[in-house]
Parts: sequence; structure tokens; C-alpha cells
Amino acid sequence: MKKIGIPHALLYWYYVPFFRTLFEELGYEVVISKETTKNIVNEGIKYSVPELCAPIKIHNGHVSTLLDTDVDYVFIPRFVSLRKYEVFCPKFMGLPDLSLHSIPNMEKKMLTCDIQVRKENIADIQTYQSLMETLGIEKKQFRRALKAAEQEWTASRRESLSRGRESLNKKDSIHIGLMGYVYNVYDKYLSMDITKKLEDMGIVFTTFEMIEEKDIYAETAKLDKELFWTFSNKVLGAGLHLIHNNLIDGLIHITAFGCGPDSFLGKIFEIESGEAEIPFLTIRIDEHSGENHLITRVEAFVDMLKRKKSGVFI
Amino acid sequence: MKISFPYMGPVILYQKILEKFGHEVVMPIRPNKTTFDLGVKNSPEYACFPFKVLMGTYIQSCERGVEVIGTSGGHGPCRAGYYGEIHKRILKQMGYDVEFIIFDSVFRDSKKFWGQLKRITNHHNIFQAIPTFIYCYKLLQTIDHFEKRITRIRPYELVKGSVDDAWDKINRILSQTNNKEELFRDTEICNKMLDSIETFTIPEEEKLRIGIVGEIYVVMEPSVNGNIEKKLNDLGCETLRSQYLLEWVDYHILPTKSKKQHELDIIKKGSEYIKLNIGGHAQQTVGSMVDFYERNYDGVIHLMPFSCLPELVSQSITNTLSKKIPIMTLSLDEQSGEANNQTRIEAFVDLLRNRKMKKSRTA
Repeated sequence: MKKIGIPHALLYWYYVPFFRTLFEELGYEVVISKETTKNIVNEGIKYSVPELCAPIKIHNGHVSTLLDTDVDYVFIPRFVSLRKYEVFCPKFMGLPDLSLHSIPNMEKKMLTCDIQVRKENIADIQTYQSLMETLGIEKKQFRRALKAAEQEWTASRRESLSRGRESLNKKDSIHIGLMGYVYNVYDKYLSMDITKKLEDMGIVFTTFEMIEEKDIYAETAKLDKELFWTFSNKVLGAGLHLIHNNLIDGLIHITAFGCGPDSFLGKIFEIESGEAEIPFLTIRIDEHSGENHLITRVEAFVDMLKRKKSGVFI
Repeated sequence: MKISFPYMGPVILYQKILEKFGHEVVMPIRPNKTTFDLGVKNSPEYACFPFKVLMGTYIQSCERGVEVIGTSGGHGPCRAGYYGEIHKRILKQMGYDVEFIIFDSVFRDSKKFWGQLKRITNHHNIFQAIPTFIYCYKLLQTIDHFEKRITRIRPYELVKGSVDDAWDKINRILSQTNNKEELFRDTEICNKMLDSIETFTIPEEEKLRIGIVGEIYVVMEPSVNGNIEKKLNDLGCETLRSQYLLEWVDYHILPTKSKKQHELDIIKKGSEYIKLNIGGHAQQTVGSMVDFYERNYDGVIHLMPFSCLPELVSQSITNTLSKKIPIMTLSLDEQSGEANNQTRIEAFVDLLRNRKMKKSRTA
């Protein structure tokens, strides 16, 4: 059985049930790289241009560790667009090119396809034409696998959404909007496991994927001009939804050092949360770890929110 | 109304056209240290350098009582397409009452586009500006011609500074012309002036030629890139940029296809390495690198603003390309220390010179 490696990075965090099921249904063994460690990060730094953002460096690290194993392919999709008038950050659109020319011995194992569809559900057979040709798979078989992948993925989305409804119902505890891309928030190494830290403090949080798509786009439609990056739009819309409907006590924006879209997105959050008088904290993460500053800052922020909520001001 | 625009590309063209429509034009100040400081202070920390420069320019223009700022929009994936929206919000927060006219693609929202165009043309007939446009186009052609010419003379001038003096004079003469006839007459004078500059000759095989590629704003604007062309010329290298005003206008503004061929060829060379247009000038950058290699240039300097999204992808590709031709990337922002870049450039030029000598000896 041939093996396909999937790097445990970037949009893996959003689409893993999809791609794993897809390749398994097609009869491949799927190898997912281990969760990010110091070694993987170092490996990534070795094969990346210094100025790239940490998530991309980590991605390169995962790819390079996968190449060291006996996989036959490493799957690096080129995400182009998921919605009309929206595109991805240039680094995603150039990801296969970037990896190919940065990581040695990549040519032979590279497996890629352009993902250019009109909705978040990426089970559109049109966009996988090149993948079918490379792997030599019949259309009928591929369609069946896509169907299964789609089911897995929608189930996981439904779960996120119900988690979101649940957390919005917990009225008495402090509620934080934790805004950031999936690969920044859920990568335990990169975010220093902030979700666990918040839970330990008894904080309820909502992330962007817990909010209904229609609520998100209702907010972005109110802007003079929407952002043009898919996930930035989602994060922005989700954040604004929480701010404008007064659903949260505070907003934390997690962003990677040097993230282009976030430099603008963060500014909009800063202005909007200021106008709505909702406390706002930016946490900037990169490949250098240092947990203590994160704990100190989050604790201070939470303490402030608690005082504000209880009405005791010092 | 008092109108202004970013200091980018053919500013003189915007000025002449807007004046034709009866606006009071406030010419943006050429970016300087004060502009950078103002921009950096009021921009998001991780916005790219051109954003901060424009921010500074706008604030300076607002101080001089501008009511309307006209600028271009875009639809990604490069950040530049969203500049206007963020600038607008920041200026509003700072308390400036200024209206933004941001031109997006006519195909997205045609009603908005035509409305904006009507405001800019001040209800004049747009065709009235055609003679002005033709004159400005010729002017651009002339400026580009001289820009290219001086970088081929300056490395070999006998008296240091004589080319710079001539260039200043040329700029003054050209900006005083008002129509095509005057322009043709003065171009002759300027050409003669450059002909009269004394130069020394060196054999053809010892000449060093360096291409400059990268993000359009930092490549074209000497006040932002620390006048890199002059630095290289002073070290005895001829230079050629990947981006010139005229090519930009040809590709982006003119409707005719034939003029676009040069740019399309470059993009084709680049698409071998970057399959899709990923925004900005990444494909052109890579294409130009290949182009300079094919034209037997000795080296390429790649300029980009710090953390520029598309150019980071093209920088990643230099790994492969630098096996063919030496490439050095300089990333620029408000922190660029003059001495640091100077040292790196000198070292790079030394390397190229040694490489060339070694080659000619073995040949």
C-alpha cells in the first residue's frame, strides 16, 4: 500500500478529517506527521527564509521530517480560493513552489493540487482533476471517496458549531473571544497551549470556527470593503460578531510575527473593540518559545476582566 | 476641491491630468525622514514599509489642508489592495476630515466606479484629457530614457558628481515643458548635455552589470531604497531595474495589447517557478531574475519591504535560482541602517568582480 504523508501544520487543522478520509478511501495509507516539537521547528527554520512567518516555517519542518520517513508522497495542496472574490494569503498560494525550492529532495515526493472552489466545503471534483491524473484514479472511485470525506468534514464542523453554542450559553463565567487562525491557536507548541491555560483558569472562550458562517459574513458585509483573504475574513467577521453583539468580556487576538493580513486585521479589531469598550489583547507568537510571558500577560488580562465584570474597580 | 494622491509612480501625470479637470492639486511631498517617522508612528507595527510611507505622506498632505485623497484599490492577495481602507480608518481616528476615493476594479462594483470617476473628472468630459495624457506619456518615455542612460554613464564618469548635476538639470528642464513640441526640443538639449560628460573607458569584458528586481515601490523610489542605483554606480557597476514607470503604465493603464508584451514575457519566465499569480510582483521578480541571467548580467539585487508576502515566496525561490546567477536580497524598512546595506552591497560587488575575473582567466 502506498503511503501519503500529510504535514501536521497550517490548514491541516481545519481540513484534516477531509483529507485523511479522502486518501484512506482511495486506498492509501495516510501518515500524519507528529505534533510540532522543538526539533521540527528547528528543522523548519533550517529550510526557510528567515523572514517567513512561524506557521510556514513549522510547515516546512513537518514536510522535511515526513521526507525522512518512507512515505511515497507528501501532500501540499495549493489553496487558492474558497469563495467568490476571496483568495488566500500569497504564501498559501505559493506554498508548493516555496516548499519545492526550499526543501531538498522534494521534487519526487511532491503531491499537489489547486484548491479553487466556491464554498468552504471543498468536495468539488472539478478542482481535483490534476490529483486524479497524478495518482491514476478513476473518476467514479474518486467521487465516492470525496463523498465520504465530505461527510466526515461536515460532522467535524457541526461539532465545532455546537461547541460554540454551548460556550455562548455559559453566562456566568468570563467569556473571551479567542481570535486567530486554527494553525496558530491549536498548535500546542506555537500557541504554548493557550486553550488549555484558559480552561485551567476557568475561562470560556469562543474561536472563529465555532461561529456560524452566515453570522460571520453578515458582519464583513457591513464593512466598506471586505478583506480578501478567506480565513482573515472569517476571523474578522467572527470577532466583530462577538464585539457588536456584546457576547464577550474581552478579545484576545493571536497572531504570528510578520503575518501580513493580521497587521490590518489587528488594527480593525483594535479600533472596533475600542469603540465598543471591550478590552483587547494582542498576543504575538513566533518560533521562539517563552511560556512565562504568555502566562503573565493572559493572567493579568483575565484578572482585569474579572474585576471589570464584578464591578470592583481599583 | 483640494485633492492629493500617494507619492508613487508617475506623480507628474496625476498632477497634470487633475489640474486639467479643474482641481486644486496638493502635490504630495517626496518621502523623507519626517514622512517615515510620521508613518511609522501611526501605522500598525507589522504593516509593510510602503504602507507606512503612504501613511506619512497622507498625514503630511492632510496637514496642508487636503480634502480628498484619490488612490487605487485592489483585490488581493497582496496587502496593497487594502491600504486605502486602513489609511481611511486611521486618519479618521486621528481626527482628520478627509474623503477617500479608492478605485477598485470596474467589474466588481461598476456603479461605484463610475460615480467615483465622475467626481474625479469634475463632470468634465474625460476625453478632454487625452492630449494631456499623450504629452505625459511622452514625458514618461523621456524620463525613463534618461534614467536608463545615466546608470550606464555614471559608473565611468571622470569627475565624480558630474552626472548627478546633469540629472538635476534634466529634471528641472523636463518639468518645465508644457507640450510635446517643447519636450522634443528639450530632450535634444539634455541628450547633448549627457554626451558632453567626460568618461573613461574600460574593456567590455570588465564591465559589471547588475539587475535590480523586487517589489515595485521599493525598486522605483530612490528615497525609500537608499538610492541603491547610485550606490552601485559609484562602485563602478552598470544597473538596470526590473520596473520602470513606463512599463508599469504600459501594462496597467494602456488598453493596447502590443505594449504589454515585454511584461508578459517576463511573467512567462517567472511562471516556471511560481505557477500562479500570487499577487504583488512575485512572478515578475522571479521572471526578471531569469531574464537577467539570460542576458548575461553578473548579479541581481532583490529588494523587498520587510515581511512582504509575495516577495517572501520569490525569495524562497532564489535558493534554486542562485545556482545560476548570484542573488542578494535586501529587505528594507524604517530600520534599514545605511552602513549595513552599504557594506553588504560592497561585499556583493567584490564577489561579483572576483567571480568575473576568475571566469575571464579560465576562458
